[in-house]
Amino acid sequence: MPFKSANGTAANKFARAGYNTIVKRNSIFLTTIFVSAFAVEMAFDTISDRIWDNINKGRQWKDIAAKYSDE
Amino acid sequence: MPLIGTPAGLVAQVRFNHSSARDTTQIPSFDKYKSGSGDASNRAFSYFMVGTTGALSFLGAKTTVADFLANMSASADVLALAKVEVDLSTIPEGRNVTIKWRGKPVFIRHRTADEIEEANSVNIKDLRDPQTDAERASKPEWLVMLGVCTHLGCVPIGEAGDYGGWYCPCHGSHYDISGRIRKGPAPLNLEIPVHSFEEGNKLVIG
Repeated sequence: MPFKSANGTAANKFARAGYNTIVKRNSIFLTTIFVSAFAVEMAFDTISDRIWDNINKGRQWKDIAAKYSDE
Repeated sequence: MPLIGTPAGLVAQVRFNHSSARDTTQIPSFDKYKSGSGDASNRAFSYFMVGTTGALSFLGAKTTVADFLANMSASADVLALAKVEVDLSTIPEGRNVTIKWRGKPVFIRHRTADEIEEANSVNIKDLRDPQTDAERASKPEWLVMLGVCTHLGCVPIGEAGDYGGWYCPCHGSHYDISGRIRKGPAPLNLEIPVHSFEEGNKLVIG
């Protein structure tokens, strides 16, 4: 089977565009890394909190506080 | 007989030239193992992995630092003790109230207009620890200070002494109506704790 280059495919063009916009300049690459780290942290915290609240629905103080607080 | 030759007892081995006319070398095809996704895709994937590793490492380092800082900061029960809230509407004019704050007594005096005038009429230059009354009481009608004598730490008695303020019975220090030392061994005025006046006639010390 002869080797067939995939350099012209759409996925490859997309990868080249991504490389040129994000990786080529180191400043942009590093900024992207740090920004995405914060984004990942926020997303992880939000989603894990939501899952926890969902599992413990009706059992946490914030769910039952209205029954005991006058204000 | 030759000097150099085959040692006795060994049969000389015939060696053929490898690059002979006979084509014995066959390079196998590596096409099966080559990436078929193209150069740009391979490069982008490599950098993606590098970037992801960096981002996750940074996240781990940042979380470690944040956890250590959160662990070292004051806990909620400590913070709850650090501040004291006083309802000032319960203190009538011309009365002293002593409350406990961080294990020390704090004097709160609702001063009358006469007392404020008296505190302001003092010549600052004559004082041992020169301080104006405005420096000591942000709201002139409320004087808030630590009830610890600056001499040796006794608790002075209110509405006593030669200057109508506080008097320390231990060694006879007299403080005036602004809590400033006027007579006796104490070197400094009574200390003013950090305090603020909040909405609804509330005083927060700490």
